[in-house]
Amino acid sequence: MTEATLAGGSARRTVVAGRPRRRHANNRAGWLFLTPFLVLFAGFVITPALMGLWISLHRWNPVLPRKPFIGLDNYKELFTPGSLTFGDFWQSMGATGLFTVLSVPFLVVIPLILAVLLNRRLPGIGVLRAIFFAPYVLGAAVIALMWRYLLDPQNGAVNGLLAMLGVTTQIPWTVDSPWVWITLVAVTVWWTSGFNMVIYLAGLKGIDKELYDAAAVDGASSMHTFFAVTLPGLRPVMAFVTTMTILNSANMFGQSYLLTVGHPGTSTRTVVMYIANYGLSGGQMGAASAMSYVLFAFLAIISIINYRLQTRESRP
Amino acid sequence: MKRRSRRVASAVAAFTATALLAACGSSGSDAQSSSVKAGGYTGPKVTVTFWNGWTGGNAPQLVPKLVNSFNSSHSNIVVKDVPMQWADIEAKMPLAVKAGKGPDLVVGEPDWISTYAGEGLLLPADSFVKSAGYTASSFPPGDLANGKYNGKQYGVPWSVTPLALYVNKSVLSKAGLSTTSLPTDSQSYDKEMAALRAKGIQGGWVDPYFFTGVFQFETLLWQNGGELFNTDKSKSTFNSPAGVKALTWMVDQIKQGNSPANVAQDGDINALITGKTAFNWNGVWQTTNDALTKVNWTAAPVPQIGEKKAVWSSSTDWAFVNNAGKEDTNVTQAASVFVQWMNDHSLGWADTGELPADNKVRDDPKLLQQHPDLKPFLEELEYAHFETVSPGIVNAEAQINTAVNNAILLKQTPQAALSTAATKADQILQQNKQEYGD
Repeated sequence: MTEATLAGGSARRTVVAGRPRRRHANNRAGWLFLTPFLVLFAGFVITPALMGLWISLHRWNPVLPRKPFIGLDNYKELFTPGSLTFGDFWQSMGATGLFTVLSVPFLVVIPLILAVLLNRRLPGIGVLRAIFFAPYVLGAAVIALMWRYLLDPQNGAVNGLLAMLGVTTQIPWTVDSPWVWITLVAVTVWWTSGFNMVIYLAGLKGIDKELYDAAAVDGASSMHTFFAVTLPGLRPVMAFVTTMTILNSANMFGQSYLLTVGHPGTSTRTVVMYIANYGLSGGQMGAASAMSYVLFAFLAIISIINYRLQTRESRP
Repeated sequence: MKRRSRRVASAVAAFTATALLAACGSSGSDAQSSSVKAGGYTGPKVTVTFWNGWTGGNAPQLVPKLVNSFNSSHSNIVVKDVPMQWADIEAKMPLAVKAGKGPDLVVGEPDWISTYAGEGLLLPADSFVKSAGYTASSFPPGDLANGKYNGKQYGVPWSVTPLALYVNKSVLSKAGLSTTSLPTDSQSYDKEMAALRAKGIQGGWVDPYFFTGVFQFETLLWQNGGELFNTDKSKSTFNSPAGVKALTWMVDQIKQGNSPANVAQDGDINALITGKTAFNWNGVWQTTNDALTKVNWTAAPVPQIGEKKAVWSSSTDWAFVNNAGKEDTNVTQAASVFVQWMNDHSLGWADTGELPADNKVRDDPKLLQQHPDLKPFLEELEYAHFETVSPGIVNAEAQINTAVNNAILLKQTPQAALSTAATKADQILQQNKQEYGD
């Protein structure tokens, strides 16, 4: 109702005829409440975004006095094979894409299974939930350092355990492909699954208990109940989790920065890592901004497709 | 990514040329030197903000002690010590200085110093160097010259950190090898490796990372008579036959079985510590590695594998910052007093795993009395090679890391890895020329 009032549809106006002033006042109050957000949004999102666009049209080293306007050259360079940035940029986009494709399914499904398993009233269930959530509160530097020790090919505990089980080759978890990808995905799943699990748990609480009762009365198996009741009930939550997870995976930085240093070669250097390095260490803010906009375009397209797919599915 | 966490580096000093220039004129050097000598600052009380990356090893205890000692003996100078991660300094310096909110003094590696100089963030220190009585022979060969950019002195040497050959003596004894006659050349190194292999020991691990694979590669390149870049830094030369030979030698260590493939970050020194290997080419900073205290180890100069003696060394310089182009002359003057005082009192700096750059401090017999382990490192300084100096060079150098990694992980041949890296590095060098246009 509030929404309709704020939107001010003409139909609504006839219903609340005689109270146009109130509607106007509501609007004003609405804007007033929004002001703090809008100020921050304009200051920290809109302005930097526009500035980034402006910077991307220049050769822009922030500390040099000369920042020549070069039009779309930074963008053209990104699409010109053989240019300084072409190979590295698209390789890092590929690395990010690969990581996203490999990690998102696990990050969507494993937390869901955990949430369903932990969504019951049992003594000590809170402790279990906390245990699964715990890694999420750690910083990237902490988890990366910890796993670097555990996964060290020559001295790590993981290869030590495998050796006891009879695996004699030292698996180069953090050093060579394809193992580095398994490491990056597994560590990320271990690290962030807890967060998605909590979202799912909240979603599970929102599913009407009566639906489960009805399913039980109909004699549905627990598997059948999961697919007929739980999963459809979680659809909006899943849409959210999927979208956020894709975006987070596409922004991956810390894991490959600290665990694999972008190696072997530059194969695990993600696009965010490349942009940050090229822009900040390399002093090429113009080119880096252009890369950010290309990445943004990709993510926007993926998000739109993702949203379309999810909303279409949720229609009855 | 060049900063080493466990390594203590140096800070930059703020220095206003105008003050000294005024003092200079054509007058005798007495007047100038008195203006920068310890306690030589006579102006009003000033605060010198000093950024450094000295966060590792013993530095967090040692630096405040030094700074307090300086502050208490100089009533009109307060040095404010601001330690932070090297990477943070790199990220913050340029914009902070542009905004006039940077430090007055900073310590950094010469390749970064030259980049800062190219960006106009620093004050030339020629007059300071002259009045302090520093000449090329006050420091290891080439160290002072490496603080120069475009004919002007920006960096003033503070510390040097060469590579050397670390030896686990227990491993050698167990293999029945001498712990006193250590390998000095290609032949004796190969012989030692073969003897260790016969005992099932991979004697010298090769690391595919910046620490320490790149240091070893550059050492071997120079030993083979090569250079990383040409003289005016417009073209890469690390892919020369000397470079290919160097990298091939490293790859051969793996192929011959002297090193496992896929060594982890720091895997080489960890293997030496845990007694899995006998030798490791590593930096002087490892002398302060706590884990080594439980190991029966020694160090020797790196063996001469190529045709001449050469060794990789990092170094750090002081630099005086030109905040927003209007640095306070008094502050710079005070900072220069601090710089010289620190160099004069740098004997204790060896506690942090770095060698003082000042020759007269290193020649003090007390240094070796307190740190006998440092002897081989001191010997090497005669033929040490320091950082390449040119604005933006660090971005070209990053390509070398990729090449070494690809070759050591056997992804590419040494030749192919170096050529690919050189092509990219050349593009970056060209861009640097356009941008900094020296």
